[in-house]
Amino acid sequence: MPKSQYVDPGKVFQPGYAEFEKIPLCTYNKTIKDEKANYKKEDFLRIYHDMRTIREFETMLNEIKVKSEYRGVEYHNPGPAHLSIGQEASAVGQAYCLDINDFTFGSHRSHGEILAKGLSSINKLTEDELYAIMKEFLGGTILGVVEKNFKTDNVKELAKDFLLYGALAEIFARKTGFNRGLGGSMHAFFIPFGIFPNNAIVGGSAPIALGAALYKRSNGKPGIVVANSGDGALGRGPVLESLNFAAMDQITKLWGMDGKYSNGGMPILFNVFNNFYGMGGQTMGETMGFGNPARLAAGFSPTQLHAEKVNGYDPLAVIEATTRKRDLLLRGEGPALLEVATYRVSGHSPSDASTYRTAEEIEAWREACPIKAYREKLVKARVATNAEFDAIDEAIIERMVEVIKLAINDEVSPRMDLAAEPDMISSIMYSNNHVKSMDESRKPEVLIPKEESPRVKQIAGKSRYAFDADGKPVPKMKVFGLRDGLFEAIIDKFYEDPTTIAYGEDNRDWGGAFAVYRGLTEALPYHRFFNAPISESAIVGSAVGYAMAGGRAIVELMYADFIGCAGDEIFNQLSKWQSMSAGILKMPVVLRVSVGSKYGAQHSQDWTALTAHIPGLKVCFPATPYDAKGLMNQALNGTDPVVFFESQRIYDVGEQFHEGGVPTDYYEVDFGDPDVKKTGSDVTILSIGAVLYRALDAAKILEEKYGVSAEIIDARSIVPFNYEKVIESVKKTGRIIIVGDAVDRNSVMRDMASNIAEMAFDYLDAPPVVFGSRNWITPAFELEKFYFPQAEGIVDVISEKLLPLPGRVPTYNETELEHIERSKKGV
Amino acid sequence: MANLVIMPRQGQSVESCIITTWQKKKGDRVNEGDIIFSYETDKSAFDEPAQFSGVILHTFAEEGDVVDCLAPVCIIGEEGEDISSLLGGAAPAEEKKEEVKKEEAAPAGKAEPAPAPEATKVEGDRLRISPRAKNLALKTGVDLSAVTPTGPHGRIIERDVNAALDAGKTGTTAAVEDFLRGIVPEKKEEAEAPAAAPAAAAPSADVYAYEEVPMSNVRRVIAKSMHASLSEMAQLTLNASFDATRLLAYRKLLKEKGEEMGLSKVTINDMVLFAVGRILPNFPDINANLVDGKIRRFAHANVGCAVDTDRGLLVPVITCAEKKTLAEVSADAKRLAGGAREGKLSPDEMSGGSFTVTNLGSLGVESFTPVINPPQTAILGVCCTTNRLKADGTVYPAMGLSLTFDHRAVDGAPAAKFLKELCAALESFDLLLAK
Repeated sequence: MPKSQYVDPGKVFQPGYAEFEKIPLCTYNKTIKDEKANYKKEDFLRIYHDMRTIREFETMLNEIKVKSEYRGVEYHNPGPAHLSIGQEASAVGQAYCLDINDFTFGSHRSHGEILAKGLSSINKLTEDELYAIMKEFLGGTILGVVEKNFKTDNVKELAKDFLLYGALAEIFARKTGFNRGLGGSMHAFFIPFGIFPNNAIVGGSAPIALGAALYKRSNGKPGIVVANSGDGALGRGPVLESLNFAAMDQITKLWGMDGKYSNGGMPILFNVFNNFYGMGGQTMGETMGFGNPARLAAGFSPTQLHAEKVNGYDPLAVIEATTRKRDLLLRGEGPALLEVATYRVSGHSPSDASTYRTAEEIEAWREACPIKAYREKLVKARVATNAEFDAIDEAIIERMVEVIKLAINDEVSPRMDLAAEPDMISSIMYSNNHVKSMDESRKPEVLIPKEESPRVKQIAGKSRYAFDADGKPVPKMKVFGLRDGLFEAIIDKFYEDPTTIAYGEDNRDWGGAFAVYRGLTEALPYHRFFNAPISESAIVGSAVGYAMAGGRAIVELMYADFIGCAGDEIFNQLSKWQSMSAGILKMPVVLRVSVGSKYGAQHSQDWTALTAHIPGLKVCFPATPYDAKGLMNQALNGTDPVVFFESQRIYDVGEQFHEGGVPTDYYEVDFGDPDVKKTGSDVTILSIGAVLYRALDAAKILEEKYGVSAEIIDARSIVPFNYEKVIESVKKTGRIIIVGDAVDRNSVMRDMASNIAEMAFDYLDAPPVVFGSRNWITPAFELEKFYFPQAEGIVDVISEKLLPLPGRVPTYNETELEHIERSKKGV
Repeated sequence: MANLVIMPRQGQSVESCIITTWQKKKGDRVNEGDIIFSYETDKSAFDEPAQFSGVILHTFAEEGDVVDCLAPVCIIGEEGEDISSLLGGAAPAEEKKEEVKKEEAAPAGKAEPAPAPEATKVEGDRLRISPRAKNLALKTGVDLSAVTPTGPHGRIIERDVNAALDAGKTGTTAAVEDFLRGIVPEKKEEAEAPAAAPAAAAPSADVYAYEEVPMSNVRRVIAKSMHASLSEMAQLTLNASFDATRLLAYRKLLKEKGEEMGLSKVTINDMVLFAVGRILPNFPDINANLVDGKIRRFAHANVGCAVDTDRGLLVPVITCAEKKTLAEVSADAKRLAGGAREGKLSPDEMSGGSFTVTNLGSLGVESFTPVINPPQTAILGVCCTTNRLKADGTVYPAMGLSLTFDHRAVDGAPAAKFLKELCAALESFDLLLAK
């Protein structure tokens, strides 16, 4: 709660009633005759054409799935196909009123939405614009295929071929698909038309769409964002978090309060295609209690998110409602929620036997077919004749046969050849770019010049090296600490890249729970730096969407333990979109997580292993101010997702290693490059994170008591990681112990030990050993020395397993027998 | 004065005996001639009479223990006598062929100092050495038998190799390779120096120290095969001798004049092998294997040749000996014996024998009971030459032959006939060559 707002005990307890307004349900009641004022004949027919195209596309997919044949074309498709037959009017109605600046995000059932938005964009763009987009996309690969095989001079017709072919080739995992076949059916998209990724995780798109809306809101970009989901997704936490996040008061009450920057609510439409089933579970009457999804919106904000329900079987009703929502979002009155009631006649997937519903129900809805009904109304209203509609149908079918023939032709539409180009997927796992500013055209919006930031001024008076001229330690209060290193890198980026944004829990005013951000509040407007609700899924998920839309985000989860609360967003979204898009999307997101100390079992965990396990993330864990600033600089200058581990034990530690202290100027520390913090000859200690300082203490004991010289290597980053320096060290010393604060089992340390054993076997005088934390819960601070690796323990393990130290009396039981016993017990 | 009673050596091939019964106990008084203990080899049982009178002051082994031949068994003396010199100075039996890890000290408890290094290197058949120490050893040619391991699990680690190098313990790279392959050289005097420290200085606890020497793989194979042989077959041995005058004369000739033809190195054993190769085809049930109730008669005489090696008895096979010249047989025998000693023979070269010749004659054995190498049906033991008188009073060199055969496959008469024919052939060796 910012100081500008007062929590008044005199008002908090005032009696009264929370009031709700009526939520409109299917109130549209216009006739074709009425609508003739709004639509020309070609508009009416185009709506039919688009619905019919989607129907044919999905019918084709269904035939291929269940019969391996469509109109004489044989093909087997082992991949998924979640069809939306019956929902065409909902998709086409929505897309009809969106332009390419309006972004759509979808679900696993979004073929229809992609095609609808694509066809709508083709209609709205000029021929030149269209051709330029197609020519630029993936170096013109897809355009080349369709130009060669569909002989037409009409760019709009060519664009339709392009759209259908690109989408189908993607579904069939062809290299000529929109995402080189790496996204597939559930992840197909086409950014140039404003069609953003669909998502195989139910509800996965909600926080991502929120992030794209945040990008528009914070950077003053035109258009709205539509988060499409099914009614089943409303049971998902990330969706509810996103609804709340989008509706939070500060966006309208605090952002832009100085009048200097744009005002208004979050420009996002949560569009719920309510087909009454979340797979087989019936949301109305069985798995949920809200009845109409529209009702759900009423609780999030006094605006009730302008919620209403519309008949999704009537394209004109959908257009009318969506247009109203879009208008109010553009006016800054967002967010909004629209329930589009529709029905999925097809099963959840072709393997769905529809055991959860009756044949009568399906038949009744099939009879109510939105396409048929719409056509009949138009014929009745004399807009067009049946013959005209038949001609449209024939043309669509003819096109569809050509498209599938082309998409399954292995010569025209090959799959990625990983035998010939084995690095093709490797090369898109990371973008590895260096981009100073994601938008060079704008100046960053700030409140004061950087030099005037009180923090910048305070840091200027600090010693940038941990020791004074006489070699004595500088007092903590006067030394430039690790948190200062992080701050310097971050504030520099805020003044360099206008899209840079930071948020998380307790970031503003408080300055972050660990004071890294102290001084940013004075420097940055709300829309670039704010407190997020305690919604880890929405925090990380929105950063993903923010980056997809073109911005750079720094989000913070406070404690690393909260990674679990944002599991899907970190493991499935943040990590995968660069590669699932075949490198089209970039993901410049730094996710800061802090490893706790003194805070017990749920606030003290080093979870580097969880993040390092997931391909696509970069992971680092600096332990010195120099490395923290250098790695943060590189992370912020890059375009890859970075999980940035910090440790609460060492935020105040000064720079003890880099001669001359932490440079004031910009510099980068390369990801993947471990650093020799102390040279030695008898044993290598590879440390991950804050344990570095205990490793140094251990080295001192080894040296002074046993005459053993230890070399200490600080891993600094975990993914990527260059083993060469470590192997060089092992060649010299012959022995290595890997230490870290993570629990031993399945840790990154174990992974490194195994790799080192393979890579340096012939040089080893003993197997690489690991000393992490016990496989327990973290006990209270007073007992931590029995849990986290300590200096004496490091010496014990070295004596026990690497190099028996004469006269060593162990403090810890680190014998092999003990380890076998512990493992038997699972501890 | 107290005396050590040692385990007698019952025959050249016996390396150790099992004490079956203590007839007297520690503290008992014995008179010269009293039986102190009973023991047995793999072939026979014996009683050991006291050679001195006195009191049994100490016993080194218990019933059921295997004691190396010539190793101490007990001490007989007078009560109250100082026997410490005998306790400590108990010399190990013969040379040690393998260095063996003592029983590992109990794992260090929480407050115990790290265990002191032990002068041991091998646990079971496995040498523990880190890859790094191994590479250093190969590079420097350190004498691995002189390296004291100090690593975890008794592993030789880099610093141990360095320590040995600093102490000047170097050898050849080939010796390192041999050592790593498990071929352990006989311990040098020098290397044994610490063990040979004065007995009096040794701590008293060491009196009861012992070493458990696990059987090497070769030893295990021999044990299994010999036990099976004796327990499953109906073996009996026939002894005979022949006049070796002409054989020895011919050998002398070869030695003196055979240099050019490369025959100067032909041994008596080679000549016996040659003769056996020529005679065997005449006795199909002796040139045979008995397998699963069927006699497998061999088309060729594939003569096994028992070779004593560091690791134990090995029996490489000279194939088709019936067709080979003396020079060829001799060359084969030499090559195979050398290969066996260096451990370089393939399993193929040590299998498929139809008959075996074993020779203890060079070690002065006059007569013995060779044990058949299963599933063969007979084995010929070659004994030493003794001088005998002829009826006319002339002395002639008589060479003994001991033929053990499996009565299940062969009867006494044909076996005796084989022996007789072999004797005749060897007696007229020069004529045999012409055949």
